[in-house]
Amino acid sequence: MDEPLIRARALTKTFRRPDKGPGLAGSARHLITRKYTEHHAIDGIDLDVAAGEAVAYVGRNGAGKSTTVKLLTGILVPSSGEVRVAGVVPHQDRIANARNIGVVFGQRTQLWWDLPVRETFTLLRDMYRIPPERYRATLARLTEVLDLGPLLPVTGRKLSLGQRMRADLAAALLHEPPIVYLDEPTIGLDIEVKDRVREFLRDLVANGTTVLLTTHDLGDIEDVCRRIVIVDGGRIIHDGPLAAVRDELARERSMHVQPAVPVDLAAIRAALPGTEVSGEPGEFSIRFDRFAYSAGQVAAAVMGLAEIRDFRIDEPGIEDVVRRVYEGGLVESPTGAPA
Amino acid sequence: MYRRSLGAHVRASLEYEADFWILVFGVGLSQCVGLVFIGAVFAKVPHINGWGLWEVVLMYSMMTIGQGCSELFAEGSWDLPMLVNRGELDRMLVRPYPVILQVCSFRLGMNAFGTLAVGTVLLVTALARLHVHWTPARAAIALLVFASALVVKVSLTVIANASAFWLRGTISTFAAGADQLGDLTRYPLTIYGVGLRAFLSTAVPFAFVGFFPAAWVLGHGQSAWVGLLTPLAAAYCVTVAVLAFRFGLRRYDSAGN
Ligand SMILES: Nc1ncnc2c1ncn2[C@@H]1O[C@H](COP(=O)(O)OP(=O)(O)OP(=O)(O)O)[C@@H](O)[C@H]1O
Ligand SMILES: [Mg+2]
Repeated sequence: MDEPLIRARALTKTFRRPDKGPGLAGSARHLITRKYTEHHAIDGIDLDVAAGEAVAYVGRNGAGKSTTVKLLTGILVPSSGEVRVAGVVPHQDRIANARNIGVVFGQRTQLWWDLPVRETFTLLRDMYRIPPERYRATLARLTEVLDLGPLLPVTGRKLSLGQRMRADLAAALLHEPPIVYLDEPTIGLDIEVKDRVREFLRDLVANGTTVLLTTHDLGDIEDVCRRIVIVDGGRIIHDGPLAAVRDELARERSMHVQPAVPVDLAAIRAALPGTEVSGEPGEFSIRFDRFAYSAGQVAAAVMGLAEIRDFRIDEPGIEDVVRRVYEGGLVESPTGAPA
Repeated sequence: MYRRSLGAHVRASLEYEADFWILVFGVGLSQCVGLVFIGAVFAKVPHINGWGLWEVVLMYSMMTIGQGCSELFAEGSWDLPMLVNRGELDRMLVRPYPVILQVCSFRLGMNAFGTLAVGTVLLVTALARLHVHWTPARAAIALLVFASALVVKVSLTVIANASAFWLRGTISTFAAGADQLGDLTRYPLTIYGVGLRAFLSTAVPFAFVGFFPAAWVLGHGQSAWVGLLTPLAAAYCVTVAVLAFRFGLRRYDSAGN
C-alpha cells in the first residue's frame, strides 16, 4: 500500500465566533455590527495512519482532538488543507466514507433516543445493508463481549452512561468498519466498565482494525495503541511510539507516603540521594527517577526508617505529557510519522 | 429503510400517546375551520372569480393532503434548527444515508393521519360533485399531476426549514412563516394581484399544490394546461431542496462538546 489509510495534509479548521457583548443588548448590537472573531481550532495538521495502526490522539481540553475527528469523519468541511481516508475525501463523498468508518463520540450518543436498542441496531442494519447472516453473527459476538443482552429491549433514553457507551460501541461496529474513530470512549465510566471497554478495544486492534483513539485517560491507550500523537493549540506537537513517551514520563514518579509516626525528612533525603522530598514529617511525597530507583527501592528505603501506614504512586496524566513535550523532554521527531 | 424508520417512530409514538384518536379528531376540527370560511363565503356568493364551491374545495383538499404528506414525510425537518444548533447532525453525517432523508424521518407528525383523512374525504367528495370527463389517459395524468403536487408541497416544507443552516436560530419562525404562505393557495389564485400570483407560481410554487392541478383536472380557465407542468415544478422543488441541504451542510459547524 502506497498511500496511508488516513492521510491529512496542512489541515485547518477555523471557526467564526460571533462577537457578542453580554446580555440582550450585546445580542442586539451583534445583529447590526456582525463582528466575528476567528478561532483556529485546527491549525495545519499533517497526519498519516497506516492500515492496522492504532493511534492515541491526546491533548489538553480544547486542543482540537474532537475537531480533528470531525474533519476525518467528514462531519466538518476543512477550512483548508487536504484529507483522504481510504482513498475517499470524507466531506465530499460522505456516503462512501461512512461505509468505511465507525465513530463513537463518548460525550454524545448516536442511538435513537426513543427506540429500543434492538430497533436501533435493525435500522443500522438496513442502513448499512448488512446481510442478515453477517448481522446475526456480528450482533451475537458484540452482545457477548459487551454484555448487551439485557440492554437490547431498553429504550435509548433509559440507558445509564455505561450501558449507553456499550450500546454505542456496538452501534458503531455492527457493519465491521475497517477504520474506527473513538472520541473519549471511556469518559465518565467506572473502573469495571472502563476495563471492559479497554479489553474490547484491544481485541479490535488485534483483529486488524485501524483505530484512532482520543482520551484524557492514559490508561485507555496503554495496551491498545503503539503510537501516540499529541496535539496542543490545534497543532501536532509530538508524534512517535508510545513506549518512548511512557519511558520518558515514567522517569519521573511521585510516591505519596503516610508514615505511621512522623519521620525526619532529612533522613529520607539522605537515604535516597537524587530524589526530591517534599511535605511534612506526617505526610510527604518523594519524586524520583525511575531509572535511578525502582518503586520497590524507594519504598524499602522509607520502610527502613519508618513504618508506612499508606502510600500511593501517581500515574502521570496528559498534562504531564504535554508539559514534558514543552520542556523538551521528548526527543522523538516532532512531526515524523513512524515508518 | 425510510419506511422502517417512520414505522419505528409510529410505534414509539403510539406507546407514548394514548390519546391518539383525540389527536386525530383535533386535527379534523382544525381543518374544518377553513371549510367553515369557504362555506360562509359561498353562502353569500355563488362564485369567486368564476370558481364554484366544489372547485374551491378541490383545491383546498389538495393543499390539505399535501400538508398531511409533509407531516408524514418531512415533520423532522422542523427540528432542523435544533439539530444544527446542538450539533446533532454529527451522527447523521457519519451514516451512509442521505442526511436530508434522515432529518425528514427524524420525527413523525402525529397529526398526519388526521390531516390526510380529512383531505381525502374532501377530495373524494369534491370530485364526486364535479363533472369531470374521466378517460383512462386523463385519470393516469391526473394521478401523476396530483402525486407531483404532493411532492411540491413536501419539498417546499423541507426548503423552508433548510433555512436553518443559514439563519442559525433555535426555532423555525421563518419556516413557519413561509409555510403559511402556502395557505394563500387554498383559494383560487386568480383572486390575487399579478405580483403575488407570479411569486406563488414560480419562485415559491405553492400554486402547483392545489390550484394548477385542480384547474387542469377541471379544464377550467385559459391556463388550465399549466397544471401539466406540475411534474416539472416537483422536479424543481426537489432539486432546490437537495441543493439547499448540500450547501447548508457545508456551513454546518457541529458544536463543541
Ligand atoms: N462548533 C464549534 N464552534 C466554535 N468553536 C468550536 C466548535 N467546536 C470546537 N470549537 C473550539 O475549537 C477548539 C477545539 O475544540 P475540540 O472540541 O476539538 O477540543 P478537544 O481537544 O476535543 O477538547 P476536549 O478534550 O475538551 O474534548 C476549542 O477551543 C473549541 O472551543
Ligand atoms: Mg473533545
